[in-house]
Amino acid sequence: MKPAPFEYHRPGTLDEALVLMAARAGEARPLAGGQSLIPAMNFRLARPAALVDLNRVAELAYVRPADGGLRIGAMARQRAVERSPVVQRVTPLLAEAMPFIAHLQIRNRGTVGGSLAHADPAAELPAVMLALDARLEARSSSGARTIAATAFFTGLFGTALAPDELLVEIALPPLPPASGTAFVEVARRHGDYALAGAAVVVTLDGRGRCRDARMALLSVGAGPVLATEAMKVCVGESPSDEMLRAAGETAATRDVDPPSDIHASAAYRRRLVAVLTRRALARAVERATQVS
Amino acid sequence: MIVQGTFTFAGPRATVWELLQNPDVLVKALPGAKRLVRAGEDRYEGLMKVGVGPVTAADFALTVSLRDKVPPERYTMEVDSKGTLGFTRGGARVELEALADRVTLMRYTAELQVGGKIASVGQRLLDQVAKLMTRQALEALNQELRARLAERGSP
Repeated sequence: MKPAPFEYHRPGTLDEALVLMAARAGEARPLAGGQSLIPAMNFRLARPAALVDLNRVAELAYVRPADGGLRIGAMARQRAVERSPVVQRVTPLLAEAMPFIAHLQIRNRGTVGGSLAHADPAAELPAVMLALDARLEARSSSGARTIAATAFFTGLFGTALAPDELLVEIALPPLPPASGTAFVEVARRHGDYALAGAAVVVTLDGRGRCRDARMALLSVGAGPVLATEAMKVCVGESPSDEMLRAAGETAATRDVDPPSDIHASAAYRRRLVAVLTRRALARAVERATQVS
Repeated sequence: MIVQGTFTFAGPRATVWELLQNPDVLVKALPGAKRLVRAGEDRYEGLMKVGVGPVTAADFALTVSLRDKVPPERYTMEVDSKGTLGFTRGGARVELEALADRVTLMRYTAELQVGGKIASVGQRLLDQVAKLMTRQALEALNQELRARLAERGSP
């Protein structure tokens, strides 16, 4: 398997990369870790006229604490994020989700920005960014803009990025006090695409009730799904078995319209959503209780 | 793969029926359709350029034939498409019900076989892609329907 012919550009700085993206808008694709794009090119499913290789753009590969939260450069490798003590301390949800992404060898090359810009409906990182209410910074040769995670994902492999724009940074806000998070997923084998998964952030108030709850689901829609109906079930409630179950059922029946494929039927995915939402929520509540 | 669902059109059943039989309208509604021409009684041929996400849009030769027509109630549509990325074969049963003067409910059930590279590599995404394209096509048809009704000067 060989890719169709393409032009190859390897800029050394972000500004050079942006100029190239602008010059070949709509024809050039940015190359990050290449763990999805290159196989698609080798199958000749993807036939971009040009690649702009971002692997030498060192200024985009970083993970650093900022304003109590975290800033992650789009070219930070997934494995680097997974092993970062800062990530574990500041956004444990991200640290917990990382090992579920494919396999270690893939995470060595795969980048955070690449996964988000690819926006595979079964990917872990888009759901995590929705749950964490991340802000995504996009740049083009004509300027910069910040896009909320909720507006960034627009459907099947769809993002708000324009053809000449690059995702350059992901900003994660600090977790409020008395918050707990959890990530769970089910796949047929470890490293396979998830059949379903849930990323949850819960914040408790002084009396132990849910002040806020954010749940994002993966692999059960055209993109990551924010379970807004299930979130409403939790807010203002004291966490109980009934609340957990009600949130799970609400997510399964009102928040998702899952697909069927050879790996799992839509009905099975719906059951997974109910169970995984409940489990992730229970775990997040328990963790929130421990820190409050 | 089975794709089924319902869609509500904002127009009378006879007009919806007319649009569904008109290749000049369908070519505008079908996502990626470049050409659709009559090739015989209830038979159309055309070309679609389809791509999703990382898959660069590729050409598919398309033939559509209509049968079991009961105007303006129901028909069966057989669709064959073939391209370098693979093929699809199958049929859709379409039913139209007049719910009110200007409200028409469509029920559709399509059974599709997909083969070739798109099926072997993209299996887990076929259901989503089929849903997405169906929705886009029906929404575009509804848009066209509204435009036509407005042109006729009806309220």
